[in-house]
Amino acid sequence: MSSRDKEIEKIRKAKITWEEGTLKKNMQQLRLGKSPVDFFTPADLEDHDFLENVGFPGEYPFTAGRFAIPILNVMWGRGQALGAGKAVKHSYGYAGYGTAEDMRDYYIERGKTPARGGGPNIAFDLPTQIGYDSDHELAEGEVGNVGVAVDTLKDFETIYEAFTGDMDLDRIASSWTINAPANIIIAMYIALAQKRNIPLEKLRGTPQNDILKEFVARGTQIFPINPSMRMTRDTFTYCTEFLPNMNTISISGYHMREAGATRVQTIAFTFANAIAYFETAINAGLDVDQFAGKTSFLNFGGGMEVLKEAASRRAARRVWAKIMRDRLHSNNPSLWTIKELGGGLVGASSCTKQRPINNLVRVVLGAAFSALIGEPPMAHPPFDEPLGLGHSKEATQLSADATRIIIEECNLCDVLDPLAGSYYVESLTNQYEKEIFNIVSKIDEMGGAVKAVESGWMKREVTKSASEFQRKMELKEIVSVGVNKYTDPDELEIMIPRTPPYKMERREDAEKRQIAHLYEVKKTRDNIKVQACLERIRNAANDESANLIPLFVEAVKDYVSIGEICRVLREVFGEAL
Amino acid sequence: MNQERMIRVLIAKVGLDGHDKGAILLSSRLMNAGMEVIYTGLRRSANQVINAAIQEDVDVIGVSILSGAHISVAQKILQKMKEEEIEDVLLVMGGVIPDVDIPKLTEIGVAGVFTQSSSFDEIIEFINNKVRAKNQAS
Repeated sequence: MSSRDKEIEKIRKAKITWEEGTLKKNMQQLRLGKSPVDFFTPADLEDHDFLENVGFPGEYPFTAGRFAIPILNVMWGRGQALGAGKAVKHSYGYAGYGTAEDMRDYYIERGKTPARGGGPNIAFDLPTQIGYDSDHELAEGEVGNVGVAVDTLKDFETIYEAFTGDMDLDRIASSWTINAPANIIIAMYIALAQKRNIPLEKLRGTPQNDILKEFVARGTQIFPINPSMRMTRDTFTYCTEFLPNMNTISISGYHMREAGATRVQTIAFTFANAIAYFETAINAGLDVDQFAGKTSFLNFGGGMEVLKEAASRRAARRVWAKIMRDRLHSNNPSLWTIKELGGGLVGASSCTKQRPINNLVRVVLGAAFSALIGEPPMAHPPFDEPLGLGHSKEATQLSADATRIIIEECNLCDVLDPLAGSYYVESLTNQYEKEIFNIVSKIDEMGGAVKAVESGWMKREVTKSASEFQRKMELKEIVSVGVNKYTDPDELEIMIPRTPPYKMERREDAEKRQIAHLYEVKKTRDNIKVQACLERIRNAANDESANLIPLFVEAVKDYVSIGEICRVLREVFGEAL
Repeated sequence: MNQERMIRVLIAKVGLDGHDKGAILLSSRLMNAGMEVIYTGLRRSANQVINAAIQEDVDVIGVSILSGAHISVAQKILQKMKEEEIEDVLLVMGGVIPDVDIPKLTEIGVAGVFTQSSSFDEIIEFINNKVRAKNQAS
């Protein structure tokens, strides 16, 4: 027996003595048949090997984080005037409403982001996301609602009038939350850059472009899964060749978690989807070390059990590093990390409409634990998330201040992975790692994520978990304060003033204005050229090997609309709901 | 013997948002509560919903919408119900619907509006009571 084994044996014996002595006595005093609390010891971490399980920050297996010094600490300045403390307000700025002018004016009014890369993080309205023009029957009532309406390049040109000079396209990074038509949006950015004489290799941005999770949770898929994956392949091959600084995809767990997946399912499904995307790129002839650096993860959503969330993220880092090294055979360790947009560990679905200021408390807890695992402590979403579209200025202010307080008053980001070595957190991390790998293997047995999504299995699993969560809420096994507990009339409903982030009155007539713009564009463009572009797209769509992006670039320059392009693609590819 | 017909409910996702967790969970809860439920799937137009409602001879149309387009959707469906003379069918809506919009919806003819703060039991009770009251009246 080694000295370590002897030590563990000693602790195990001591724990039995404790259980039969102190613990039992305490339970008897309190008349409990079972202890309501756990206590972990080194015996729960028998094979713990620091170098193998944790390692140093910025080194395999990255349990302690991506970097020896997280970007956050550099951005924040810590004495240097880099301005991220100011920029944090804009990082809550995923926004979009109305028409392109409304959006442009919003960005102009908002002012410059005092940080590198401070481009727009654009939310598109649902017709744009689903490939319908603003005058489509199904678009009625939806135009400019959950985001900005974009029909043609004209709209993109208008939005980006807010970004010129020292904020021109070669100086900023843009973010576009759009999936099925992502390649058309990339094409618009290219067309815009070419019109402004900006070299394509300078373009930086991130399309969400994660179609698999749309089928599972978010629901803006347009085309069946195979042509959808073909379009993702097009993003990889085109961007690798022509847009070396453009991210290709932001692989998201968040939406699946919000739809009800457990924390382990979320991470496993996200990685299974990521493997499917990476294999698509590899099968298209790309080398993993060539394209992986331009992929990213959005985030994994979260829940209220923040300590478990933190452990699951540590496990996720280790699992992804192993997948990249051992399965996808990447030779570049800096690509084995989860490049994440970040966010707190608490999701929107944990937030309640009842006594909504409590949501600030909820997200601050998530943010504090984000800090403890070296992620930016984003107190996201702002507290009024459940009250309807558009976070108020006050709610955003409070969230931004929460982040600042966590970083600058609590100094929680000044030590990396302080949870490392905790008997509880490490044993939970190990357990989650096993569970994540088990689900990934199960998906492999089904033939991979594409099959698991196509058959509806992944969605059914999410629905089962959502149903189970709901059952527990109803039984009060899961508590939500103000929702299923503490709802007596003597509890106070509290609200503070809320100023809309946008000129709400503009949203009222956005649909009318947007349709008028669209007709104007359709009247003034060369419609013979438009038809020719659409025919070329149709022919190329029929040829599985063709990359459609160059044709999209050509088409959007002639002001062919997203709806027109998607209609042709729907005719060739079919439609998926 | 009381041969009361099972309450038939059409749960419809109208509008373009893809958030169907609520619609799916509610469908299964209504079934457990002894109702017959037909779920339409995503992105249905007002026409499709009304056609399905007529074809399935439902007592209740439950519209789930989280895109913010609830008012225009309600107007379209109510208009269509009028044209098809099925105004006796109970129209209820649920989703992320701001409190200020609820009176606007009930004013134009939506029988009940349920939000994140509503429980499934509340919705079940509402449907049971309203449909029973209507059946007794007729």
